[in-house]
Amino acid sequence: MYKNKKSGFLGVLVTIIVLIIIVIFSNNDSGVSFFENIANKVVSPIQNGLTFIKNKVSGNENFFTNVKDLKEQNEELLKKNSELETSLRELENIKTENEQLKEYLNLTEKYGEYKTISGYVINRDISNYSRTIVINIGSNDGVEKGMTVIGDKGLVGHVVSVTETTAKVQTIIDTSSSVSAIMSTTKDSIVCKGELDSDKTLRAMYIPTDANVIQGDSIETSGIGGLYPKGIHIGTVQKVVSTQNMIDRYAVVETAVNFEKLTSVLVIKNN
Amino acid sequence: MKRTIINIVLILTIFIIYLLQLNFFNWFTIAGVMPNLFIILVLFIGLFTSKNLGIIYGISIGLALDLLTSQTVGVTAVAFGLVGLLATIFDKNFSKDNRITIIFIVTASTILAETFIYLLNYVFLDSNINILAFVKILAIETLYNIILSIILYPLIQRAGYYIENEYKGNRILTRYF
Repeated sequence: MYKNKKSGFLGVLVTIIVLIIIVIFSNNDSGVSFFENIANKVVSPIQNGLTFIKNKVSGNENFFTNVKDLKEQNEELLKKNSELETSLRELENIKTENEQLKEYLNLTEKYGEYKTISGYVINRDISNYSRTIVINIGSNDGVEKGMTVIGDKGLVGHVVSVTETTAKVQTIIDTSSSVSAIMSTTKDSIVCKGELDSDKTLRAMYIPTDANVIQGDSIETSGIGGLYPKGIHIGTVQKVVSTQNMIDRYAVVETAVNFEKLTSVLVIKNN
Repeated sequence: MKRTIINIVLILTIFIIYLLQLNFFNWFTIAGVMPNLFIILVLFIGLFTSKNLGIIYGISIGLALDLLTSQTVGVTAVAFGLVGLLATIFDKNFSKDNRITIIFIVTASTILAETFIYLLNYVFLDSNINILAFVKILAIETLYNIILSIILYPLIQRAGYYIENEYKGNRILTRYF
């Protein structure tokens, strides 16, 4: 394979360069890459000119009818806008009332009433298919199997096994994790499962067919199932994917905790 | 004496690969997917040393990885043991000098090991199955493993021939001079 030393070395060098290029381009989050920019600079003046001519030729006869339609549409939208604004003001009032009532019942979202043990993340999974973390507190510090683990922003997971000085935690983004949750405004219950292809989102399934899923809504644990206590913030709804029948639809929930940068966690002691 | 030195060097390589995998390849990913250098290592041990040593190293590395960070203990151990076994089968039937056979061996072992681990984790933990995402991640991981093995192979080959001389001095049949 590498009989000729010079060509063998060249082959290895080329492969290393190709690997670095693949890694850079596959992890590039910005929409347009450098080469796309250059290509666009060459092509866009010509394209702009042709599009201008096309619009001139085909657009003129639609111009006057469009103006009438647009005026009607505009009036309708203004009316709708003012209606929505009044209902939004009503919603704000109800929201503040709700917050006050919640405080009266002592159901605050801060975790002051739970006894917690704090720990650090010391190890992560090196596989691509599971997401387990290891924390530096164990049975010597009072950690037991099944305890909930939270971060400063929301739910992290639950303890699956304990040694004297460490504990393994299955995070909620692991594919074998299912969290029973409720949407905080409509109180409909859903199940949030971890996905293989994303470390930042969960898939919220089993949404009731008559439920109204609002984008940006906050998702909390429901306490059903006995695994996680009630009221812990999980994340926010990013988008809803509708399907042909209402049974199959699911929502993408962005987790409140950033699992890539997670360092310190709290283990909730009393359940 | 030589054999103990070789074994000590192999164990040191295991630690180095673990640290690399945890810190460097966590960041140097292709579309978020890391390679699995342990499969290449177990393959290398199985190809160049004796049959039993490949399986023993595979099972012990897998067991150590499971005890450290996995929820199901033993799954990775069996998978890597199978990779060690596969390596001895490949050793008898293929030449280690040809680039295409190396690519084929690495592809086959990666696909077999990761599918085995994924299936068994599904059986024990009742995880959600998402075939499309799994196939996509597996394809990228196999590609990454192939690229890494092409880059590292001259080094591995030289070390491997040295080890092979030690372990199978008078029974080397598959090296063409």
